[in-house]
Amino acid sequence: MEENDGITGQFLDAVEFRGVSRRDFLKYCGATAALLGLSELYVPKIAAAIEKASKRPPVVWLNFASDSGCTEALIKATYPGPADLVLDVLSIDYNETIMAAAGKQVDEILANSRKEGGYILVVEGGIPTKKGHGMIGGKEMLDVLKENAGPAVAILAVGSCATSGGVPAASPNPSQIIGVNEALKKLGISKSVVNLDLCPVNVEYLTAVIVNYLLLGKLPELDSYGRPLMFYSQTIHDNCERRAHFDAGRFVETFGSKEESLGYCLYKMGCKGPMTYSACPKVKYNSRISWCIGAGGPCIGCAEPGWTDKFAGFYNRLPGVKIPGLGGVEATADKIGAAAAVVTAAGIAVHAIGSAASGRIGGKDGGEK
Amino acid sequence: MQNDMKYEWNLAFRIDHWVRFLSIVMLVFTGFYIHWPFMSGGPGSFLMAWMRFFHFVCAYTLILGLVVRIYLAFNSRFSSDWKDFSITKNLAGVPDILGYYIFVKGSHKDYGRYNPLQALAYLAMAFMVIFVSLTGAALYKGSLFGFINAAGSFGWVSRMLGGESYVRIWHIFSMWIFIIFIIVHAYMSVLISASNKDKTLTSIFTGYKLKKSA
Repeated sequence: MEENDGITGQFLDAVEFRGVSRRDFLKYCGATAALLGLSELYVPKIAAAIEKASKRPPVVWLNFASDSGCTEALIKATYPGPADLVLDVLSIDYNETIMAAAGKQVDEILANSRKEGGYILVVEGGIPTKKGHGMIGGKEMLDVLKENAGPAVAILAVGSCATSGGVPAASPNPSQIIGVNEALKKLGISKSVVNLDLCPVNVEYLTAVIVNYLLLGKLPELDSYGRPLMFYSQTIHDNCERRAHFDAGRFVETFGSKEESLGYCLYKMGCKGPMTYSACPKVKYNSRISWCIGAGGPCIGCAEPGWTDKFAGFYNRLPGVKIPGLGGVEATADKIGAAAAVVTAAGIAVHAIGSAASGRIGGKDGGEK
Repeated sequence: MQNDMKYEWNLAFRIDHWVRFLSIVMLVFTGFYIHWPFMSGGPGSFLMAWMRFFHFVCAYTLILGLVVRIYLAFNSRFSSDWKDFSITKNLAGVPDILGYYIFVKGSHKDYGRYNPLQALAYLAMAFMVIFVSLTGAALYKGSLFGFINAAGSFGWVSRMLGGESYVRIWHIFSMWIFIIFIIVHAYMSVLISASNKDKTLTSIFTGYKLKKSA
């Protein structure tokens, strides 16, 4: 019976991993057969049906304009845990960076996936919209996305390149790179995209979204930027391990100082934690070993769309403001405000002198007539 | 002497004025600290937490101060003066009063309580309070007035201005406008008091102003 019960060894391994023995599983199948009034000959078929139903959907992972940091993050998920469970059971059919196949074979794999459909499309990297600035196998990246977005059951944009362009889209953005959501809108494909901002993506976010999809058959609730609320609803600042130092008014003033070694708050070093929504302080990185602020670096806000431009320079509290009419001269909001106040005070001084000279102050007549 | 005096500001107007003034001063001070903490807290202190606490308390005070002022403008039995703030009427009077202030003219018409520039400036500041409150609300992570989810209800401000760092920049610019307003406002009160000799400056403390000798 063991040889021809129709159950693959791989599936049984997965079942046994969850504490169900082969014997239990077959008993369950037998009981189901009895319940349905079928002979024991049907047991292998039921087992196969369950196996098929439990088969994880395939994943197609497309790489566009990025540094493959998110792929790197994915393959570094080595510790046992929910991440591995999903990644082992998931079949990643296509990922240019890590797949063994090459050349024509690759195109066939992708074409097959498209034919079968029903895959989860993971997109890493921004999409250049300037012709010839980003091509794979002679095809524009935009066209590759168009081709593969259609048959997908769900689209996940991982990393800030895929969500809003990220580093390659930073000003002046010579390749006119856009995020997946914008690209799909441009292509006229109306499919909702889950944006997993961060640079690189946190693999635990990615696997959690996939598990959520497998268990409930739907994508998680999203915020106005298309990010899952379960990870992007609170600021880094509000969950930061250094928050107590912030509230107490203890700040690092320079790197390499005593305050830094004491783990004081990095607010004055330009930390963007108060403006950045992500669960980094809780989930951390690299199997929860550490994260940016834990390692002594101020948050640069990579969970926010467009962070490369709106949070630069990363070690300043706020970005500079271009002064209109001065051709790109930048100043901080404070300097502009203070300059305006000084100009006002000078104007008042001139006006006061004028008022005294014209006899309005101390003169006999008031101004009203 | 009392006969020469005119009751310009009743108690409600005066209290509202000074409450708004004090809240703005506190907001500016605590706002500077929150933007760039210039003192560090000692052991056991909660300096930043207190600064933020007072910032929020004063923000509520300023908002309520404006609400009270608007209420007074429409419903005060002493002087409901909302008609004084008509934009079109005041704009028409600007050349006259501006001409006087820049020494082109020797005198200006009698405008009653507020001259056109003054009325427009006060109206603009009322809108500034609304703007600074909106940007503040967009930055606030808690629950406004205890029941409005600030991040959810005012996220549109943040999206409109291009993200939270720009909301902060606009919030700071607004603060500077308040500072400049206070400088000009104080100067004008002193100047008008000195040129008209009608105790304009002290009227906001005592409520009384000298009647015109004419």
